Amino acid sequence: MSTSHVLLGLLSAGPQHGYELKRAHDERLPRAKPLAYGQVYATLGRLERDGLVEQSGQDQEGGPERTSYALTDAGRDKLAEWLAAVEPPAQYVASDLFAKVIVSLLASGASAATDYLIAQRAAHTTRLRELTAVKTSGDSSAGDVVAADYAIAHLDADLTWLQTTLLRVADLHREVNA
Amino acid sequence: MRPSTLARLAVAGGRTDVLRMAFTAVSSALAAVVLLSAAAVVAVPELGDPDEGSNAWNQQYGSQLITDPGLRPGVVATLLLLAVPVLFLAGQSIRFGSPARDRRLAAMRLAGATPGQAVLVAAGETAAAALLGSVLGTGAFLVLRLLLDVRSEFGLLLLPTDVLPSPLAFALVLLLVPLLAGLIGAFLLRRVIITPLGVVRRTRSKPPRLWPGVLIIIGVFAPFVIRPLGRLVVRAGNRIGADLSVAAGFALVLLAVVGVIVGTGWLSYTAGRLLHRFGRRPATLLAGRQLMADPWNGSRTLSALLAALVVGAGVLGYRAYMITQFAATDEANRLGGGNAGFGGTTDFYLNSAALAGLAVVAGLIVAAAGIMVALGEGIVSRRRTYAALVAAGVPRRVLGESIAWQTLAPVVPAILAALTVGLSLLRGTGTEVTAGGGGSCAGTEAQCADPNSPYWQMDPVVTMQVPVPFGDLLALGGAAFVLMTLVVGVGLFFLRRSTDLDELRTV
Amino acid sequence: MNALLTGTGLHRSYGPTPALRGIDIEIGEGEIVAVTGPSGCGKSTLLHCLAGILKVDAGEVRFRDQDIGLWSESARSRLRRTEFGVLFQFGQLVPELTAAENVALPLLLAGSGRREARKSATLWLGRFGVGDLADQLPGRMSGGEQQRCAVARALVTEPKVLFADEPTGALDVLTGEQVLTEIVHVAREQGTSVVLVTHEPKIAAYADREIALRDGVLDPTGLGLGIGS
Repeated sequence: MSTSHVLLGLLSAGPQHGYELKRAHDERLPRAKPLAYGQVYATLGRLERDGLVEQSGQDQEGGPERTSYALTDAGRDKLAEWLAAVEPPAQYVASDLFAKVIVSLLASGASAATDYLIAQRAAHTTRLRELTAVKTSGDSSAGDVVAADYAIAHLDADLTWLQTTLLRVADLHREVNA
Repeated sequence: MRPSTLARLAVAGGRTDVLRMAFTAVSSALAAVVLLSAAAVVAVPELGDPDEGSNAWNQQYGSQLITDPGLRPGVVATLLLLAVPVLFLAGQSIRFGSPARDRRLAAMRLAGATPGQAVLVAAGETAAAALLGSVLGTGAFLVLRLLLDVRSEFGLLLLPTDVLPSPLAFALVLLLVPLLAGLIGAFLLRRVIITPLGVVRRTRSKPPRLWPGVLIIIGVFAPFVIRPLGRLVVRAGNRIGADLSVAAGFALVLLAVVGVIVGTGWLSYTAGRLLHRFGRRPATLLAGRQLMADPWNGSRTLSALLAALVVGAGVLGYRAYMITQFAATDEANRLGGGNAGFGGTTDFYLNSAALAGLAVVAGLIVAAAGIMVALGEGIVSRRRTYAALVAAGVPRRVLGESIAWQTLAPVVPAILAALTVGLSLLRGTGTEVTAGGGGSCAGTEAQCADPNSPYWQMDPVVTMQVPVPFGDLLALGGAAFVLMTLVVGVGLFFLRRSTDLDELRTV
Repeated sequence: MNALLTGTGLHRSYGPTPALRGIDIEIGEGEIVAVTGPSGCGKSTLLHCLAGILKVDAGEVRFRDQDIGLWSESARSRLRRTEFGVLFQFGQLVPELTAAENVALPLLLAGSGRREARKSATLWLGRFGVGDLADQLPGRMSGGEQQRCAVARALVTEPKVLFADEPTGALDVLTGEQVLTEIVHVAREQGTSVVLVTHEPKIAAYADREIALRDGVLDPTGLGLGIGS
């Protein structure tokens, strides 16, 4: 995912300045990693350089000077192009969990790997329960529930994979020791 | 599918299906015995043209039904007719689905069998059991032949036990019984759909029409209204009007017979609605709703039961009529000083009534067995629901109660209606008998020319009212009710097997 | 801890096949416990034993400190329809009864009047969002609607424990989640304990606590490895 595309998307609602963009980002994408201000301004600068956004005004109400940005036509095209492009489905596996399980099986032996996996599963299950509690608590917003669903689906996939891996390792172990 | 494959699959059920197999086998054995008896009657040697009178009679038998070559075809036809419902019963047991059988057939479909092949396997199972039954039946026939080979004091045989049916007849029975049972079974499976995921029974959900109900109600009450009406018209001096009203009453009763037999769906539906409306217990709620949802379940066999009852009530009415007739004649003879009574001939009439009664009882039993099959099928197909209800804490007693309501609620009014209508059918022709009358003249022709001359001796006229045979009707209706109670008992047995918790574990 | 329902040393076999081989379990008042494990691990059998539907071969099941294994079938039947609610994957509604009649059935069995039972039934159907289907036959409802009716029936007697065996197994993901969320809400509100049998971690996450089984014994790792492995 690229921050620049998300910012372009947020600007499609109308001109906004950096601070507003950061807040909109964190609000619309709960449970995503929050954006840093610096990253917002750096990205806007790059977008302006490429002609995708332009400065649309300044306001200075009782604070530091703030510049609003608006989408250019090129920016609008770029956004449409990005939205229409299909994401390659999991082309590379890039996950600390995956790397750690593989390395642990290679480096520390089946028993230590199993201990690690048990602990990891417990952590995943706890997180899963917390996220489910968000869904069942009566006062969660629709956005919260959708975000929880997304996280739950991924944790669930991780858990299934963990379990399968363990059973495979156990089978391998049996075969080797048979 | 090769025949050998079919044979293998047909006996795959093995021990799990003992009940259905036994049911098929016993019915087929019975059919075989009846058919072989018919063959034995056929085997009685013909001594000549029946028109020659008693010269052509086979005098070695006790019963005129067998000695008289003119009567023998009738006996054979009756036996053949009797074999038909019994064979139907054998075929009907195919619908006695057991959970295990249903799963087996569904699994065969899942494994790639076509619907036709699945039906073929089911029919094959029935045919296999029926083959076993016809072999047993043949054995039973041969044993019975020896056991019943008794002579009366005059050296007359009770039954044609001195002749053996032809080998061809034996072969036909051994082959035809399984074949017919299988064919009937396949035919009866047309409302059962064997899908790869399970066996589904199609039910007619259309609520039944009202008209048979109207016919029943009018027919039951018609005789009570029309006869007094007719009498009124007679008193007014209009003979034709009276006949007309009696004829109309008779026609209405006939229509009521049709109503009773066609209207079982309506009866079930109405009984269900009343149970649902007025019942206060969970069992009546369950039974009422189920009757309303599927009033046609077992309706055809219930029709058969009711038809048997109509005939039975008619036979009882006829018997009461004959007895009164004999009594009136005897009375008239006694008063007239004559001594000629009916003597032995009364026995012939009463015996034939008894024989007809026996056929009615046989019909009742076969019909009740049919209802049992339908009930068992219904319970087995609803086993998942029952098992879930038991798991949820519904006592089996409540479920049993609902099955009893569901079976008996439509049957009791149906029995009453059938008996009333059957009796009306006969009593429509008359409720009183007259005997005597007429006279003889002891004088010369001239002396007798005047009917008022003293040479004329007039026989007294005796008129008697034919009583309603309440006792006999009660016995007949009671017997039907007891049979249905037995059916409920068997249903409860099915219920126990169908509420097994394993039903919750399998789809 | 003050456990409402306990199982100690539970053993149960089907013929020669053991399904439970010594299980200890405690369900607290108002607690939602998930029982998980691969298929054939004995989790449904455990639920049936705890609910008094099946008798255990050895061990004891105590509800409010009474050994229900000593009770007669009819006493356990009464327990199931008053103190317990049961919920299965599907096929538990009587097809010929309307939704309201299905839900009212346990109340009628308990001796309630017809009107009164119908009133509560409609109320509970409304709670699960199917109030307008009160006079429908189950056959005319979707799977989710049927399951909502089944939940209403399981809870209409306000049981102390709800036993749910794969209650969302026959539903699509969203409907399943909605049904589960409703169950959890009501259970929290009424202090009902729930025993939730499932093989899905996602469903188990609705519970406060998870008990994993493997081959008829507890599996503390929850990874399907059993104790000995």
